[in-house]
Amino acid sequence: MSGAALSVETAPRTARQARDPLFLLGSAIVVLSLVLMVIGPWIAPYDVGRPTDDIAVPPPDLAEVPGLLYAVITGAPHEPIHWFGTDTAGLDVFSRVIAAPRTDVAIALGANLASLVLGSLLGLLAGTARPWLGALEMRLSDLVQAFPVFITGMILVTLAGRSFTTIVLTLALLYTPIYVRLTRAEVLTQRHRGFVDAARALGKGEAFLALRHVLPNALAPALIQASVTVGFAILMTAGLSFVGAGVRPPAPEWGLMIAAGADQIIQGEWWTSVFPGLAISLTVFGYACFGNGLERRHAR
Amino acid sequence: MPAEPLLSVRGLSVGFHGAIAVDAVDLDVMPGEILGLTGDSGAGKSTLGLALLGLTRPPGKLLGGHVTLEGEDLLALPEDELRKRRGSRIGLIVQNPRGALSPLHTVGGQIGGVLRAHLPLGRKGAWQRAVELLRGLGLNDPARRAEAYPHEISGGMAQRVLIAMALGAGPRLLVADEPTSGLDVTIQAQFLDELARAARAAQSAVLLMTQDLGIIANYCDRVAVMQQGRVLAPMSVRDFFAAPPDEYSRTLLSLRREAPPAPPAQETPLLVAKDLSKRFTLRGSGKVLQAVDRVELTLHRGETLGLVGESGSGKTTVGRCLLRLVEPSGGSIEFEGQDLVTLKPAELRRLRKRVQIVFQDPFDALDPRWTAAEILGEALEKRDPARIAELLALVDLPATTAAQHPRSLSAGAQQRLSIARAIAAEPMLIVLDEPTSALTPLARVGIVRLLRRLQEKLGTAYLFISHDLNTVEQLSHRVAVMYLGQIVEQGSRVQIFEAPRHPYARALLAAHLAPDPARRRIDRAPEAALAGEIPSPVDLPRGCYLAGRCPQAQEACRTTPQRLIALPDGRALRCAPEAARAMNTEPTLIAGGVLT
Repeated sequence: MSGAALSVETAPRTARQARDPLFLLGSAIVVLSLVLMVIGPWIAPYDVGRPTDDIAVPPPDLAEVPGLLYAVITGAPHEPIHWFGTDTAGLDVFSRVIAAPRTDVAIALGANLASLVLGSLLGLLAGTARPWLGALEMRLSDLVQAFPVFITGMILVTLAGRSFTTIVLTLALLYTPIYVRLTRAEVLTQRHRGFVDAARALGKGEAFLALRHVLPNALAPALIQASVTVGFAILMTAGLSFVGAGVRPPAPEWGLMIAAGADQIIQGEWWTSVFPGLAISLTVFGYACFGNGLERRHAR
Repeated sequence: MPAEPLLSVRGLSVGFHGAIAVDAVDLDVMPGEILGLTGDSGAGKSTLGLALLGLTRPPGKLLGGHVTLEGEDLLALPEDELRKRRGSRIGLIVQNPRGALSPLHTVGGQIGGVLRAHLPLGRKGAWQRAVELLRGLGLNDPARRAEAYPHEISGGMAQRVLIAMALGAGPRLLVADEPTSGLDVTIQAQFLDELARAARAAQSAVLLMTQDLGIIANYCDRVAVMQQGRVLAPMSVRDFFAAPPDEYSRTLLSLRREAPPAPPAQETPLLVAKDLSKRFTLRGSGKVLQAVDRVELTLHRGETLGLVGESGSGKTTVGRCLLRLVEPSGGSIEFEGQDLVTLKPAELRRLRKRVQIVFQDPFDALDPRWTAAEILGEALEKRDPARIAELLALVDLPATTAAQHPRSLSAGAQQRLSIARAIAAEPMLIVLDEPTSALTPLARVGIVRLLRRLQEKLGTAYLFISHDLNTVEQLSHRVAVMYLGQIVEQGSRVQIFEAPRHPYARALLAAHLAPDPARRRIDRAPEAALAGEIPSPVDLPRGCYLAGRCPQAQEACRTTPQRLIALPDGRALRCAPEAARAMNTEPTLIAGGVLT
């Protein structure tokens, strides 16, 4: 009945979503984190592992920043600049902050990719195979999720040895149940859609239906969740290193940097911890905004 | 007409972001008349209806015009004055009855709330008045029903509550916007009967907006057509149906009472279903729901069997059982000499393509991630572009559709694509499960024509499942009527539509609103209606399922289960008393000894 009204209403709605500022900000942060993951260590102005002679130098005053920027851009000769200062070992904080995504973002992405693939396949199985198998998967998911994520993560990493790979695998194990549940729930609705029955009536086998029709249409919620979970995984990676259960020092990593600077904060050397802390907050916030924006777009 | 118009609309225009939805409309509604307003989707009917009550909402904008109700220009009134007129002088009934009721308040309280807003009544007085209104609308035990919350009442009752709310304060004009869309035919007819009667009793005029010309023919005094925001001059219903003034109405009426092309005569049936049953065990209670109960069906090549019944009668489950999309609990389906029920999975997969299905919701039936070509390719042995183009042409879709995704197609085009996919498998039988119900009346005409043409060309048999009796009449050669999982009567199209015998079939067909002003329901004496509501399918009566509601039920009906009796005229009937009567009026045929 109100066809005219509807078509008129939908046009500005898409335009409004395209202008969603938080989604744009989130996308920018996500892209920046990915770029830094790839090239961060190469574009860092100082070697992230070799101390400089400047020990515990504070960042330049805000008033000096424009002048220093000008000097860098024009190539004018200048003193070595430590934008975020240096730590007690003389390492340049700015270089380490932009080199850290190579560790933090890579671990978070790798873990989520692994759990997304494993979780959605298990979810598909849980939603289409025999009921007892689905029930078994759900109880196993309950088991994994019954323990606090952080504590379980700490124990597993400590037991398996602190390395890049074990952290990725641990996080993947912890996040898989999320994707199993999401995919299973969506599979349960999608498999009763008309096009699935139509393909069944054409004589297609159940495996074909599950992989070609059900799974592609059931993936959206898991993909949206993934963008939010990557943010949390970054937080978790940094958290594990902060308590000494993550990557080993002196690797440039946000959690390690905060831990290293924590003792100096009371002496007024705030910069060693505050800058990596800001980097984590901003990244997690960015991934969350990106995920929310995706969800709103999907729901329309 | 000599009388002053009750409502007079002059030059009313409403726009949406520059697009004109209602374009300089002039319309008069006379006191006490029922004026129909029809027209294609998007013609602006709903927008006009809301504008009459001063309810134009952003982004819609009132561009000008006057709405004069009994000499008072509504649109010139300040908002709080206008609000007092709404409900007391001009009422509104919208689609979706349950959505219009608040789930947090009892229905009696909601009717009372409207009354108290317009009449000098206290809480108690309003409640009593609400109960009286519900009693007047034919509800038994209205005092108890008034205390129900909206989720506790049936859809039909929710509609009556809406009528009570709209008419409670005695408005002079009632605007009803598609008030019965989505209702079963019997409830629709009941609702419109009550609406018409209540409006007549209250001397109110009704502006009835609907796309269903059957409703217009059966209830309206005059009818106006709306197209692209403009309203054509109203004419009397008889003149309108004798000579429809516009292309839209002419198209809709072009199939009126026209028999489908006769099928080729065939000796051996294509499909014979015997004692087909489906039981579902309900989770939790463990009760058994008998969705399909010993259904017998026979289909010949090139023939259409219409399967009709209200929601919950099990007709969709029958269709799904034939493809074994639902596993039958019992019975046999003999198709091309093989029993589909006992077939092994591998053989079933091979034979499945011989029976295809088209679903009610065309968008749901097409994978949203696939293009039309991919969808059709799935049904073919190999994806042959020439064959795909041929299929698209066969269902009147442009060749460019091949590259499009379902969401960029209209509902009618989606349904054509669904049909193309079904015929791509070159089936002998297509189960059409309400294929026209989700479509606009205009798209429905196109699909009916397409189905007829494909049947003539390809000789495919159809099982046409629908609650829309007009479409069934246009497509079916034979018709089976279902009630609570059983077939209660089966016969030729003419037998069922002209002279149904089973009491349920009679009640169902009496509610059939044909787009033909010669047999207007509003002028007919009310036929013996069925009492009460459909019994729950988990708790069925011991004897005839209809016994509790049937006006001619005898004692034996309540205790003896009825079986399907073949009559000499080719009908099958699940009603022993009626079958006996049929035999007695044709005494020469008793010798056949069909009745045992």
